[in-house]
Amino acid sequence: MELTIDWYIGLSAILFSLGALGVLTRRNAIIVFMSIEMMLNAANLAFVAFARHLGDLDGQVLVFFVITVAAAEVAVGLALIVTIFRSKKSINIDEINLMKG
Amino acid sequence: MGIFGLAPLLLVFPLIGVLFNGLVGRRFVEYNRQTGEKWSGWFGSLMALSAFAIAVAMFFGLGAHEFHAETVVLFDWIHVGDFYVPWAMQIDTLSVTMMLVVTGVGSLIHIYAIGYMHGDPNFSRFFTYLNLFLFFMLILVSGNNYLMLFVGWEGVGLCSFLLIGFWFDRVNEKGETMNANAARKAFVANRVGDLAMILAMTLTFWTFKSLEFQPVFDSAVEMFESGHMVHFGAFEATLGGVLTAITALFLAGAAGKSAQIPLYVWLPDAMAGPTPVSALIHAATMVTSGIYLIVRSNVLFEIVRASEVVIPGINISSPDLVALTGAATAVFAGLIAFTQFDIKKVLAYSTVSQLGFMIAAVGMGAYVAGMFHLITHAFFKALLFLGSGSVIHGMEHGHHHLSHGHHDEHDTFDPQDMRTMGGLRHKMPTTFAVYMIGSLALAGIVPLAGFWSKDEILAHAGTNPGWIFTVVYWMLTVAAFCTAFYMGRQLKMTFFGKPRHAAAEHAEESSPLMTRPLMVLAALAVLGGLLNFPFFSESAYKAASEAHDYGINLALEHWLEHSIASFELSEEGIVHMPHTPTWIQFDVAIISTILAVVALLAAVFLVYRNRWQTADERDPLQSTPIWWMAVLPFDTLYMKGIIPLFNRLADFLGYKIDWDLWHNFVHERIIRDTFVGFANFASDVLDRQGVDGLVNGAGQLTRWLSGGLRMSQTGYARTYALSILLGTVALLAYFLWPVIF
Repeated sequence: MELTIDWYIGLSAILFSLGALGVLTRRNAIIVFMSIEMMLNAANLAFVAFARHLGDLDGQVLVFFVITVAAAEVAVGLALIVTIFRSKKSINIDEINLMKG
Repeated sequence: MGIFGLAPLLLVFPLIGVLFNGLVGRRFVEYNRQTGEKWSGWFGSLMALSAFAIAVAMFFGLGAHEFHAETVVLFDWIHVGDFYVPWAMQIDTLSVTMMLVVTGVGSLIHIYAIGYMHGDPNFSRFFTYLNLFLFFMLILVSGNNYLMLFVGWEGVGLCSFLLIGFWFDRVNEKGETMNANAARKAFVANRVGDLAMILAMTLTFWTFKSLEFQPVFDSAVEMFESGHMVHFGAFEATLGGVLTAITALFLAGAAGKSAQIPLYVWLPDAMAGPTPVSALIHAATMVTSGIYLIVRSNVLFEIVRASEVVIPGINISSPDLVALTGAATAVFAGLIAFTQFDIKKVLAYSTVSQLGFMIAAVGMGAYVAGMFHLITHAFFKALLFLGSGSVIHGMEHGHHHLSHGHHDEHDTFDPQDMRTMGGLRHKMPTTFAVYMIGSLALAGIVPLAGFWSKDEILAHAGTNPGWIFTVVYWMLTVAAFCTAFYMGRQLKMTFFGKPRHAAAEHAEESSPLMTRPLMVLAALAVLGGLLNFPFFSESAYKAASEAHDYGINLALEHWLEHSIASFELSEEGIVHMPHTPTWIQFDVAIISTILAVVALLAAVFLVYRNRWQTADERDPLQSTPIWWMAVLPFDTLYMKGIIPLFNRLADFLGYKIDWDLWHNFVHERIIRDTFVGFANFASDVLDRQGVDGLVNGAGQLTRWLSGGLRMSQTGYARTYALSILLGTVALLAYFLWPVIF
């Protein structure tokens, strides 16, 4: 059985969906964060798969950008979570609802 | 132009006097009483004399000009559409005659006033007013249109008001400001006549489209000849009818200014003013403006006479009404003069009576006789008033002399009450002599001035046919009798007998500054008759007109002919001027002279023979009906009849019409309530419910909508994430739908 592009795309879609499900259903901020990382990496997987399939390196270059941005995002996001934890003694995102109208 | 170019100076000189005395005269007097009075008084007098000099120049100018009228236009005054009135001076024989009288007598009175007003705290104010009076009087007589005449007319009325009330702060024992009241009375009585003047001028302009004398008269004659109707828009009227209205209104104006029945009441009260004022304004000049007005408008009066239009209701024509008014006034005021004890009041009623003579004369068409009497009356009445001023001065002097001995605070001594006088002929010989001349001239004793002029009027009335002339003749004859009688009474009370008061015993002759003008006036009162002397006129006129040397011809008749009988009508509309005798009428003259002498003698040697031994003696006439004249006449009528009626009318107008109807009903109920109702509607319904509702509704809607939208902001990150997801899915579905299917 040959590993065609479909498999990669399918895996990527499953990963993205699991990530999205995690973001929507979990309350622990760390878990939500990890779910977001999972969605980003699902996208990376799709990029690489398409780059390989199309023989074009642009997609792979973009993956580096995404990784960089994700790293920056993790740095900022973790810092935010730490700060919120300090003030609320909790990282349950349902308790973080200051934006409620 | 030539000498007539000087005419404006006639107005300029008195105006300079006004400015000098009004602006700086007071400083002079306050700085140094003695020299200040000299400056102020003599400057004013000099300006009057300068105006007199100009008037004389005009007189000779006219002589050299063959008596042709000259108009000197100073500037355009009003020019609106058809309405054109220039500020122009008419120099003709009539106006120059008036100028000579006004400035000549005026100058003498100015000089007299320097002596009379000596020591008055408002010395320069007096001369300011006196010069202002001359200024306006000269506008009155020199204007070439009715509007200028009216400016002067109002101006002299103002000066009269100011001068009657010159001592406005004086109060009588009851605390009433009598002088200020008298001034106000004069002003109000004159307003009545002035209203008539305004109406007359309006009607004149409406009819003739001009207010200038000559164009008005020319078009009146032209309309009379052509017999055209006068059109007022849709209405039309006969020329005679319109002119009857105009001339009747002129009569009302003249009755106000020249103190005729029923408006004469202000003149006796006007004696509250200083005596020079009484002499100048209330005897010699201003009060004759009514006569001047009628003489000036003689063309209009003669056309009314010729067209035989009568005033509806009384059935006499307006010139006849003028004559009857004058004659009635002459008799009426002559009788009232019997009952007066105030030396100046007698002269005031005498003035009213003599003005009646003049009005009667001009009403009969005897314009020259009226002007002649105006001139001679100016001489002898100014003389009498100034003489009475001299007497009053002497009495005050005597009283002053007394009060050095004992100071009596509650002294009610009246220096003008003839009952306190008596025997003054020894104390004041000069005053007595000139006063005697004035009295005889007024009484009409031959050959003094009054005889000639009064007789000319009587002759005119006596020699013309028609019942009007007959009635006027007999009334004037009675008035002439009265004149002599009250003058006899006055002479007897003032100068003869024994002094009845200590003040009269200590009276002293006045200063030469006062007596010298009196002498000049006395000379004029003696010689004034020569002005229209019958011996002069016929032959002298013929000789003069052949030699073209008009300068020496003195006869007033021919001199005034150039201003008065200056119109000729065509054969159909010939105006029959009433016949004026060229020679003195012996029968009339003899009757009037005998009557005058009898009246004088009766007064002095019969009625008052043994009277006036003491000051509180009763007048023998006091128990006769004549005395009713003192209380009955028009003053009482006005106080009892017209003034209460007027007050009631004013009450009605004020409380019922103005307050109840106009203010309470129209303003409060209709206008205010309507307005408030509308304002309430606008505020409550339109603004609060409409506009505010709209604005508030918009706010409510926004709040309601935003309240709904707010619900979508849960604050849970999850919700936002879900919405992003669903949005993304929706977008993908939208874009991919056509690709997939």
